[in-house]
Amino acid sequence: MAQAQQQKRSLKLTEKGVAEEGTDTDEVVISISAGFNEMKDETLAGEKHADVLREMMAGLEEEGVTARVVRFYDNLDLGVIGLEGAKLSGSGISIGIQTRGTTLIHQEDLVPLNNLELFPQAPLIDLETFRAIGKNAALYAKGDTPEPVPVANDPMARPKYQALAALWHIKEMQHKDESKEPTEMEVSFE
Amino acid sequence: MTEDDSHRTDGSGELEGAARKRSKRFETLDERAVTEDGFVNEWPEVGFVAMESPNDPEPSVTVEDGTIVEMDGKDRAEFDFLDRFIADYALNVEKAEEAVAVDSVSFARDLVDINVPRDEIVELSTAMTPAKLCEVVNQLDTAEIIMAMKKMRTRKNPGNQCHVTSVEDNVAQIAADAAEAALRGFYEAENTVGVARMAPLTALAQQIGAQCGRGGVITQCAVEEATELELGMRGMTGYAETVSVYGTEDVFKDGDDTPWSKAFLASGYASRGLKMRYTSGAGAELNMGQAEGKSMLYLESRCVLVTKGCGVQGLQNGGISCIAIPTSVPGGVKEVAAENLITMLADLEVASGNDQTFTHSDKRRTARMMPQFLAGTDFIFSGYSAVPNYDNMFAGSTFDSSDFDEYNVMQRDLQVEGGTNPVDEETVIEHRERAVRALQVVFDELGFPPITEEEVEAAIYADGSKDMPDRSIADDIQAAEEMMDENVTGADVVRILAKNGFDDIAENLLGMLKGRVAGDYIQTSAVFEGDGDFDVVSAVNNPNDYQGPGTGHRLEGEEWEKKKELRFATDPEDI
Repeated sequence: MAQAQQQKRSLKLTEKGVAEEGTDTDEVVISISAGFNEMKDETLAGEKHADVLREMMAGLEEEGVTARVVRFYDNLDLGVIGLEGAKLSGSGISIGIQTRGTTLIHQEDLVPLNNLELFPQAPLIDLETFRAIGKNAALYAKGDTPEPVPVANDPMARPKYQALAALWHIKEMQHKDESKEPTEMEVSFE
Repeated sequence: MTEDDSHRTDGSGELEGAARKRSKRFETLDERAVTEDGFVNEWPEVGFVAMESPNDPEPSVTVEDGTIVEMDGKDRAEFDFLDRFIADYALNVEKAEEAVAVDSVSFARDLVDINVPRDEIVELSTAMTPAKLCEVVNQLDTAEIIMAMKKMRTRKNPGNQCHVTSVEDNVAQIAADAAEAALRGFYEAENTVGVARMAPLTALAQQIGAQCGRGGVITQCAVEEATELELGMRGMTGYAETVSVYGTEDVFKDGDDTPWSKAFLASGYASRGLKMRYTSGAGAELNMGQAEGKSMLYLESRCVLVTKGCGVQGLQNGGISCIAIPTSVPGGVKEVAAENLITMLADLEVASGNDQTFTHSDKRRTARMMPQFLAGTDFIFSGYSAVPNYDNMFAGSTFDSSDFDEYNVMQRDLQVEGGTNPVDEETVIEHRERAVRALQVVFDELGFPPITEEEVEAAIYADGSKDMPDRSIADDIQAAEEMMDENVTGADVVRILAKNGFDDIAENLLGMLKGRVAGDYIQTSAVFEGDGDFDVVSAVNNPNDYQGPGTGHRLEGEEWEKKKELRFATDPEDI
């Protein structure tokens, strides 16, 4: 066990410029928050952001949908970055994710607090779920109405993680820059 | 961390390397449940502090021509909308300057001085600014907070509220559990749902169950606002408490709300004779990262005063859904008791939390409720889970149905009124059966999916939804929609029950509906006595007059005799 080499994938996100509104109906925007892979490189569940992003992209790709990654600096509210991402997405569908791992699937014609699917308990979202989220986002993009990805519920998640989640959120607010536009990101895995 | 996992010492007594030799004592301690809890060191700059942040304002107030023109270090021109609302509607302006000028230490002493009656305290405390209330309460230690709560609670007799929910939204189970909860002595029962569209049916099931025992248990179904209000207007519920207020403007705005919009909603309930209280509690603002560097207690004191300003009779606070945030920092459990006390100082009803999981440790969850339990509050738990926690759709409470005996024993041990009574198994089974049979008839008459004999039998003897047969939620949702479309009301249910031999439940349900017309139970801290006579007991007709030994509510006489009945105690006569 001690000798087992764990495969480590690292994620490099490079700014490509202001994100434009997409026209390709086969694309889904993944909205990432200001501190994603910057403030921390893993979620509260301990999943590496590299793996999280890769699984969501794989879930999209296996349905023949391409992913665009857009970072939002001006707002940390998941409902808002999810919705704004959906408006930039050619298909009108986005996945929004915060550094701590809280995730949702959003659609351009909804209001911020009303989304397609919400995964509020960040500590419970594993890689398998992230892949399923990617797949469902792809299905919504293609106009399907998939069965929602099952949401985990654990009454002991609050005792363990609520204070930490608040702390992470506050730390992430230091990465916020209200003057900066949503930015297209180039993704590479090393 | 390192490839080298061999043991190594450098002779200094300190261990190096990956496999540091562990103390067996510490290994044992690491196994304890409390190590699973989230603890955080204080970070006052952002408000990660329970009480007394360096950023909390100093109390002050200036009144000109009957208007507060300066409060807690801010001129009126700089007020945010909470300051403005509090200054204009929450404080007794006539007394404000006098109240803020009072020495805080001496006023804090008055809180624990049995010779100073409650009325005298309230005269000034209802004129105090948020910062002043904090400065006063900050002088107290936990034992003194308990003493102060004992005197300052508005209603003389303490009480309790429960949660009645099912992870399957199983109506037969909910009716039976509501009946048992009523029998056990809860004044209020609160339901919510797994699937939102089930709310009309679960509310109906809880209402029938709750009225089948003592009569007069007030029920609630916590769902989306418009639905919740409509269920109340239909007579399916009798109160609401999930209208939330916050301590900073940013959090209010995030929810597209203002104190004025909340006041409007509150009047929607009050004008229809429905009891209502607000909800707030430490940690909500931090959870949104919008605490402005203020302590949790200071922000909560603003919530209390917004509630007061809205004219709402009471507040549910004490952490509530963000409870694991205050309890992660030093003094957090003290802080939640302090916020309950501030609510009482504002002369409001308090439903004092103890209603959401915050720890893995049995000792911590018991210690956390001691201030409210020992002092007695209007609702010590807001809600005690009357179902197993796996069925608790508020994500788990601090105490659940498996703690019923232990909670009764604590009351018996300490001679304290905790708001529940011992019950015997036979009576519980009788009541559960009566409730689920009544629901079966109502479902039948309304043409809803039948409640089968198998379900009736299972519900009578069930501990939780795991003991219930499967039931189609899709069919029930359809029935719930019909129920709303066809305008089924509480009066229709009364008629069905009376026609089918459930006169007692029909009488009780009618009593609830009459109660709404009379409107007496929307007074501060009002509950029904729960004996089927529908006499209202409130801060108006039964005010707390505690002034030391021999006064106030005392657990004695018949009430105390009930607490003594422990079903597994040995009777000396049997030996």
